[in-house]
Amino acid sequence: MSESTTWEPKILAFLCNWCSYAGADLAGTSRIQYPPNVRVIRVPCSGRVNPMFIVEALRQGADGVLVSGCHPGDCHYLAGNYFARRRFALLQRYLEYLGVEKGRVQFSWVSASEGARFAEVVTKVTNDVKALGPSRRLTIKAAAPASQAEAQAHPGGAE
Amino acid sequence: MKNALPQEIQDAIAGWLQAGEIDLFIGYEAGPVPLRATPAFIREPEDVARLIWDATCENNLTTFLQNYRGKKVGIMVKGCDARAIVGLMQEGQWARENLRIVGVACPGVVDPRKVACALGVAVDELEDVCLDRERIAVDGHVLALDDMLHDTCASCPQHTPEMHDTLFGAFDGDDIEPDYSHVRAMEALDADGRWEAFTAEVSRCNLCYACRNACPMCYCNQCFVDRTAPRWVNQTVEPRDVQFFQIIRTFHLAGRCVGCGACTRACPQGVDLRLLLDKLRLDAADLFGYEAGVDPEAKPPLATYREDDPNDFVMG
Repeated sequence: MSESTTWEPKILAFLCNWCSYAGADLAGTSRIQYPPNVRVIRVPCSGRVNPMFIVEALRQGADGVLVSGCHPGDCHYLAGNYFARRRFALLQRYLEYLGVEKGRVQFSWVSASEGARFAEVVTKVTNDVKALGPSRRLTIKAAAPASQAEAQAHPGGAE
Repeated sequence: MKNALPQEIQDAIAGWLQAGEIDLFIGYEAGPVPLRATPAFIREPEDVARLIWDATCENNLTTFLQNYRGKKVGIMVKGCDARAIVGLMQEGQWARENLRIVGVACPGVVDPRKVACALGVAVDELEDVCLDRERIAVDGHVLALDDMLHDTCASCPQHTPEMHDTLFGAFDGDDIEPDYSHVRAMEALDADGRWEAFTAEVSRCNLCYACRNACPMCYCNQCFVDRTAPRWVNQTVEPRDVQFFQIIRTFHLAGRCVGCGACTRACPQGVDLRLLLDKLRLDAADLFGYEAGVDPEAKPPLATYREDDPNDFVMG
């Protein structure tokens, strides 16, 4: 049983309530298909996403993390995403510097009317993370052998 | 006492105390540990004579300022320490008028571990130590001071503090460009190599939090590692907890670290935290054109924004 045929990545998505979450909702109501690998956490604003959440997600076993908010200039709270953008610009470079593979942690701007774009973003992140394979860095599951971790993650496929 | 402060500096400090311009003065005095001066908290003018300055005055004393908010404080700072005062002023922690600053031009401070290593003994076995500006004499052996400086001092770009009320001492070398070759070497590796280098460097960390305690910019009333709901960092030496702590503490200093090196000097395990913090300093300069600890009027980069900030890292 090779890993690549059975393994599906788990991707945690922090979506802002006002734009990206609504964009995800629109994708759903428009019946647009996208990979079912994302687990969504709704946050009030991309500015609410503490860098600790992202590192903790990787530690708890997420294979990828997506943070998505309103386009610059569209923030419901006027400037939350501008502050977030500075933080994430530094954080993304920093995590890469420490050896977390490029593509594990990604950022996007998706508005409430961009359901199709949300599907594109999720598809791209899922493909990127699939190409990278299971996360082995920072995660608490890294100590367990791959097959065992996988068995825990997908017990008989009946999750 | 040959390492006592110059008389005019002593008089200035005593004068401030006498006039009530400051409630206390934070400086250095001789301590019980070989080659380590100990912080001194002077409240009476007659105690000023206890203060010393030499290459054993390692601590960044501005770390103690957080204990004296609302007071008027006099403090002795080296070139690196003065940058931390600028950082604290930028974040509204201290107003310049509440500080009296004695600056000292610092040629670098001595690393007792290097001395002990050179002589093949443990640090607390160092006896009969005396030092001047060029040499350290330990139990009959003489070592060149320049070879025994902390690594953080060997690449020091700022020996003479810019912010001060009165200044003494002289640094006769040249100010050099800061050395970031360790960061560039790490950047040149691939992801596997960088992960290897990062985990190897922090693998010696045992979560004693000496780095946090020594850091003048780590002044949160409750640090994330001490929080219990949620508990972010377990009190273990598991690599995952250690890595999490090191990533998050250093990232909390993103755009704020003034590069004084107090954390690296304080680490009992010899973890070179500059490998992490210098990267963030370089990126803050590269992305936002900002250098911490320079301009007291400047806003820290993560407390502000520009509409034309870099956006190319966001998915197109």
